[in-house]
Amino acid sequence: MMDVDHDTLVALSKSWGLFYLIAFSAAVVIYALWPSNRKRFTHAKMSILDNDDKPLE
Amino acid sequence: MVSQLTISERQYALATLLLLGLGGLAMAAMGRGDPIAVHGYIVLIFAIGLSFVVMAGYYAPEPDKTRLSRYYDDPTKVGIVLSIAWAVVGMFVGVWVAALLAWPDLTFDQAWSSFGRLRPVHTSGVIFGFGGNALIATSFHVLQRTTRARMPGQFAPWFVLLGYNLFCVVAASGYLIGVTQSKEYAEPEWYADIWLVVVWVSYFLIYLRTLARRKEPHIYVANWYYMAFILVVAVLHIVNNLAVPIAWNAAKSYSLFSGVQDAMTQWWYGHNAVAFFLTAGFLGMMYYYLPKRAGRPIFSYRLSIISFWGITFLYMWAGSHHLHYTALPQWVQTLGMTFSIVLLVPSWASAGNALATLNGAWHKVRDDATLRFMMVAAVFYGLSTFEGSFMAIRPVNALSHYTDWTVGHVHAGALGWVAMITFGSFYALVPWMWKRETMYSPKLIEVHFWLALAGTIVYVFAMWNSGIIQGLMWRTYNESGSLTYSFIDSLVAMHPYYIARAFGGLLFLLGALVAAYNVWMTIRQSRMDAIDAGEDADIPLFARDAVQAGE
Amino acid sequence: MKEFFHRKIERNAIGFVVAIVAVASIGGFIEIAPLFTIHETVEEAPDMRTYTPLELAGRNIYIREGCYACHSQMIRTLRDEVERYGPYSLAVESKYDHPMLWGSKRTGPDLARLGEKYSDAWHVAHLINPRDVVPESVMPKYGWLMRNELRIDDLGEHLVAQQAVGVPYTSEMVDNAVQDARGQAAPDTDAASAVAERYGEATHVRAFDGDPSRLTEMDALVAYLQILGKLTDKANQQAAAVEVEEQ
Repeated sequence: MMDVDHDTLVALSKSWGLFYLIAFSAAVVIYALWPSNRKRFTHAKMSILDNDDKPLE
Repeated sequence: MVSQLTISERQYALATLLLLGLGGLAMAAMGRGDPIAVHGYIVLIFAIGLSFVVMAGYYAPEPDKTRLSRYYDDPTKVGIVLSIAWAVVGMFVGVWVAALLAWPDLTFDQAWSSFGRLRPVHTSGVIFGFGGNALIATSFHVLQRTTRARMPGQFAPWFVLLGYNLFCVVAASGYLIGVTQSKEYAEPEWYADIWLVVVWVSYFLIYLRTLARRKEPHIYVANWYYMAFILVVAVLHIVNNLAVPIAWNAAKSYSLFSGVQDAMTQWWYGHNAVAFFLTAGFLGMMYYYLPKRAGRPIFSYRLSIISFWGITFLYMWAGSHHLHYTALPQWVQTLGMTFSIVLLVPSWASAGNALATLNGAWHKVRDDATLRFMMVAAVFYGLSTFEGSFMAIRPVNALSHYTDWTVGHVHAGALGWVAMITFGSFYALVPWMWKRETMYSPKLIEVHFWLALAGTIVYVFAMWNSGIIQGLMWRTYNESGSLTYSFIDSLVAMHPYYIARAFGGLLFLLGALVAAYNVWMTIRQSRMDAIDAGEDADIPLFARDAVQAGE
Repeated sequence: MKEFFHRKIERNAIGFVVAIVAVASIGGFIEIAPLFTIHETVEEAPDMRTYTPLELAGRNIYIREGCYACHSQMIRTLRDEVERYGPYSLAVESKYDHPMLWGSKRTGPDLARLGEKYSDAWHVAHLINPRDVVPESVMPKYGWLMRNELRIDDLGEHLVAQQAVGVPYTSEMVDNAVQDARGQAAPDTDAASAVAERYGEATHVRAFDGDPSRLTEMDALVAYLQILGKLTDKANQQAAAVEVEEQ
């Protein structure tokens, strides 16, 4: 911490922070829209409506 | 309820209570007239009281194996009752402090009853007491249903729920005797903070262990939100509460950070406590109970995933908007402002997703006050996130900061969103938990709904008005170029709004009392049915639910 | 590939946990980390002194009573605030404040520059019953401050804890904390001159609550209120310099 000066940290925050933001958003959108995930998501959203109130053995 | 624990779990419970009691005794004995000694006695009484409960059921026969083919709901039931009890206490104190601003002598001239000490009792009482218990109770319920797995043990959930309530009691009683760190929404002192970490780690482990046993391959999105709530609150809590106590047997500590670092850390905490305690956790609630009650799947599951990561990612950057125009470096302020505005996207995605789920079921919303609670909660969530982003813009903040507008904004979120989604979820959950068709009185839900909505609107409009007037009066110049109003002029102008606010809060409190009565009667009916059905009627009251759960 | 990776972290709950913590904490880190090197850019104030033990005790009463809930101690860089309250607050002025008391709400006015604005007697009267002095006030009464003896036996421990978090108290200050607290409220005694010696000639040495024979919580709180904005003259100097530049 001692050797890193304030300006370096600010610069790092400002540049990599932005790249990180963009890369991250892209990853999330790709994941959410990936075609083969559709089935699992549909299953998940229907599954809670099942009225069988017991743990599965 | 004790009869549902296995013998070894009862022994665990007694051993834990013994250790806790010894801890309390040590605090009481070593506290040298320090407030920590008072807390020692409270811990001791808490431990002894619970020991009696466990002892009374200690020799009951072990529960049979069939319990493993059911979910474990006893902690959820107790959590609901505790949550409602805290709501009534916290909101009552809220109405009291609101009244003190209109009539400052409505106090007993005692230190404990002054505004500065009561206010954190209100904030902690509703946020941690009411909100926290609601989150714990519902998360246990949702976790088991969505993973299709029973929680692994029966001791840990009780440890989390009751340990958490011990934290709440220590916090609230501490403020009254003058124990506080002064950090808003993180007031409890170091020993309470350490205890909460222990409780929180156990909470997290319950989640992990249940997820590991899950029968559904995919983790349902509500759990993502609950987990983000648990994890991030842990990080926030630990970092913001780093402090050095003056002695291990004294309550007072000094925070590790000072000045501008401390301010940034505090509002990084404060803002994200809103994000991950009051938003993420309750979104988890919404993503389960709203579709469930409406009988319709969530409008877009994908959207819920995108907004989850958006909220998790973006909120962390936004805290510095609490410190516009202060001694905080300008670039941090700008960063906070930018991210606060971007944050609107995932927030509105969530609110929109909830409302779109109800699209096509509006007749249900019209007829069912429970569902209407959830619908209005989603609307207020959308409104207050918009307002929040708006207030994070620097010039707007110049006007709104330090005024009642902030208070109005917080309550639009707390009453309109957090409390409404919680009451809606409770009205759905209580009949399921106590095996009833409906709540004791659907009419009273309707009454509660209108009290809550009217109370929220009166409150929020009063505070918008007073906040904006206050902000404008502070910056009004006369023709000769000097300030027109003295500070006291602005205070006098607030008086009618402070009365209106106290009235709005009173309506909301009345609604909470109606809810408490309705829930209580539902539980009572359920017990009557159990007795009528020929269950053992001569067992102690507190053990009756257990019998009924085991029928 | 992406999809495979995601499915994997999601199947494994631990991976999911790590993802949440990583995503959430990086933002906080990026925002907060630079603030821990900020002393390189913050103003220097060589004349800045620490709180005396009595003022620190008063500050703890201010915290205990929740004064921060209604009073800020942070004047923003806005014209009307500077004209109403005084020069805007500098970061350096709260560098010994563990925790800071910037506040978030002004039900009452800002107090960052309250020091020496009113007399001790005014403060005492105002704290006992604010409406005796300001009829429209909604502030609570704090009569018990006058009745309660100030607890001073543990002040040495307070100063040690302050040292531990980085406030430059000397071991001499720690050893004499109790006497210094007494001395600051008992003018014309040996203890009083010792306080001035340790904390500077400008330190207020007065019977703050008007009664030199007792050391009450009122003494401590008023001593603290009277030092607000006075630990360093930096903000006034800077404001004066700006004025000169403008002319």
